[in-house]
Amino acid sequence: MNSAQHFVSGNRDERRTLVVIFLRGGADGLNMVAPLQDDGYYRARPRIAISKSKAVPLDGFYGLNPLLQDLEPVYKDGQLAIIHAAGSEDDTRSHFEAQDLMEHGGLVGGGWLGRFLRAQTQGTAGPLAAVALGKAVPECLRGAPAATVFQSLDDFSLGKEQGRLMRALAGLYGRETDALGAAGQYTLDALRRVEKLRGEIYHPSAGAEYGTDSFATGLLQIARLIKARIGLEAASLDLNGWDSHFGQSTVMDPLMTRLAKGLAMFYKDLGPALETTTVVVMTEFGRRVEENSAFGTDHGRGSVMFVMGGGVKGGRVLGKWPGLTRDVLEGPGDLPVVNNYRNVLAPILTRHGAGDKLDQVFPQFELNPLPIYG
Amino acid sequence: MNLPRRSFLKAGASMALLATAGCDRMPREVRLLMALNSKETGPFSSPAGSTIDPITHVLNRAAFGPRPGDYQRILALGKKSSDKPGAEMSPAQLREAAEAYLAQQLQPEKLQDDQAEYAAARFETLSEPLGELFEYQPELLQNELMRATLARAVLSERQLYEVMVQFWSDHFNIDPSKGDCKWLKVADDRDVIRKHAMGQFADMLRASALSPAMLWYLDGRVNQRENMSEKPNENYARELLELHTLGVHGGYTQKDVMEVARCLTGWTVRSTGKGPRFQIGKVEFNPAHHDFGAKEVLGQRIQATPETNSKQERQQLGSHELERVLRIAMRHPSTAQHIATKLCRHFISDTPPPTAVTAVAKAFAETDGDIRATLRALFATEDFWGSGGAKFKRPFTFVASALRATDAKTDASLEVIDFLKRMGHAPFNYPTPDGYPEQAAPWMGTLLWRWNFAVALSQNGLKGTRIKMEALQKKAGGEEGLMAHLLGRQATAEEKTAFHESGAGLALILASPGFQRC
Repeated sequence: MNSAQHFVSGNRDERRTLVVIFLRGGADGLNMVAPLQDDGYYRARPRIAISKSKAVPLDGFYGLNPLLQDLEPVYKDGQLAIIHAAGSEDDTRSHFEAQDLMEHGGLVGGGWLGRFLRAQTQGTAGPLAAVALGKAVPECLRGAPAATVFQSLDDFSLGKEQGRLMRALAGLYGRETDALGAAGQYTLDALRRVEKLRGEIYHPSAGAEYGTDSFATGLLQIARLIKARIGLEAASLDLNGWDSHFGQSTVMDPLMTRLAKGLAMFYKDLGPALETTTVVVMTEFGRRVEENSAFGTDHGRGSVMFVMGGGVKGGRVLGKWPGLTRDVLEGPGDLPVVNNYRNVLAPILTRHGAGDKLDQVFPQFELNPLPIYG
Repeated sequence: MNLPRRSFLKAGASMALLATAGCDRMPREVRLLMALNSKETGPFSSPAGSTIDPITHVLNRAAFGPRPGDYQRILALGKKSSDKPGAEMSPAQLREAAEAYLAQQLQPEKLQDDQAEYAAARFETLSEPLGELFEYQPELLQNELMRATLARAVLSERQLYEVMVQFWSDHFNIDPSKGDCKWLKVADDRDVIRKHAMGQFADMLRASALSPAMLWYLDGRVNQRENMSEKPNENYARELLELHTLGVHGGYTQKDVMEVARCLTGWTVRSTGKGPRFQIGKVEFNPAHHDFGAKEVLGQRIQATPETNSKQERQQLGSHELERVLRIAMRHPSTAQHIATKLCRHFISDTPPPTAVTAVAKAFAETDGDIRATLRALFATEDFWGSGGAKFKRPFTFVASALRATDAKTDASLEVIDFLKRMGHAPFNYPTPDGYPEQAAPWMGTLLWRWNFAVALSQNGLKGTRIKMEALQKKAGGEEGLMAHLLGRQATAEEKTAFHESGAGLALILASPGFQRC
């Protein structure tokens, strides 16, 4: 394999893209994927629980919130796995602390995704390896070999006179015979692909119709970059506003609709490209089991994670359900974290080329990876 | 020190009066203020050779590249009064001139550095005492650290010193995003790295071991053993041997790591949220958390301290084990070899030549880690002089050298830092303790952002950064002079053609393969 090819296939045999979606604010896993057969759930939430009749049944025990029903076909296709009672070891119940520690992967310098990209791209990070959709590069990408906020395709150009400058650069880099020459050729090639994209109107595949909210357009951009094969290895996207202390339904319902619609369209649009793509949905913590007086829930512990993508042995809710009895609940009455988020991410990172570097990505933690891939 | 704003204004008002007085009699504030506008360069000459000559070579490696006029200033150092004016210098003379420059750079304290000092003084948080740092938002501290680092690399006359600061920042890397490092890294940068960058390695190693930021970053603060059932935290001990001293294949065992960790139990740092605020960041040794049993580190015995000893003795003996361990590690032959290898990789080649490494390691060992003597030995190797243009600039060097070469007036704004972030090389953003990689390969994916930066800089598209392209070209004596100045040699026929055909000559040269090398 020559150096140029090495760049194109950023991570060994085939390029894979990891999409990390962070639900900021602490999303209520119990009302997204409800434990329909646990009476404790209905006792604790007499007014806001998802009723058995309205829920979308998954496996006889759990049911999806009806607003997430767009995810049902993906689940039934076996491409979506759900992990319940998931979260981190942090028990401060502080948004800032919990997000910070989760994105860093513990009390560690740098973000877990940043460390992963450093560890697995020995010598190969492409210029467009990692993008963040939003205003800033999130902490999880801190320390990545190349990470950029993606605002528009125009960022990836050399300005108005691009054509002449590129031709001149192609001449000079074309004369170089070493790795620098190859890197120059690869970069020019990436620029040409972006240039081509810019001139086209994007038509999602399979009749996928994304919404107009920023989450949907973010996913559309990611799908577009993945399909253009410009070397995208990681993308991050936030869906904010899950802090449902009161009027939970008004807070969460539109977000769940956006989440499910967005992911379903992304799934449809990517088609075969999903094989080399993984989407992870995570949140900093779940919410108190018991509803509060304002039809809401307060900061809790365990929540839910979603994993969608190639190779996933989906159609399952993974992890042992701990139950909601008093002896099980943690602190003020919270679903305990049975599945540490690292154990969900670990097998995914292995698939994405982490090799033997997982201990660098998640130091000071004894990994016990969940069988996401069966 | 901070420049209080009021005295600064006063100084400005009286500047006109003082301008006629001798420079050394002026108050420092006035000198700094004057330094601001005193740096207009006149016409300058560029390298005449077709390859990198010794003068350009030292500017590339011992500095962040040439500024307009640097080449000819160094050239003058090699001229003798007997030389005919305008006569071409022999290769030996060029080398002598370059060596004279290195000799100057090896004594940074003798170089006046008003412009860089003035620029750095604007970042006021950096001179705050440890305890005061906690009054600031971490984001502000991090931004000021990054900006000051870039400003100094661009402006400082003490270029080799700044190069070494970067070298040791990588060697003793701390990512400030962990815990209290958000505040403490500012003090570490100042009191560990910058303080000892050209001093004694042993002093820097000790300062680093007791740096509050390092105690946080590598968990030294929680390394304790109140009773035998408690397991010491090995994080710092391992990195001390693997990264800071002996090197990964330096001949230590897992047992050594554990024994070093035991020696260092009991050291800790007061953290935020615990105890009185004024004590945050304070480093202390708590004998109650120390393991007083006998140990053996790299073959050397450290005796047990019996419980019959007085409290005071235990305090003293226990804390002294840190000094013992550091000395054992520091004097281990592998440490000289490891530091020498890293220095040679930095200054000579990604694959450090063994002969050079041996010579540098010898100097390190013989001088007990005198950094200047070690560098002198490195600059005396033929491997150093024969390696011109063979290295690939890391992104930080690329950006700093572009700003220097174009004589950019810059406030090192976050817009420039943002480019460094995109290239994955912003100062103090590397997550793991091994520091940013030195070799070329991990940086090959950064060309797109380098080209983008070249375009933005040459079109004056960066807020807070300004260049005067036409004036620069004029002072360089035209296009060819400009190209030779930027490339450190005469441009090739292809480069000249590309310069014209690109429609953006300056950007093209900054983006070209030649400018990526050093």
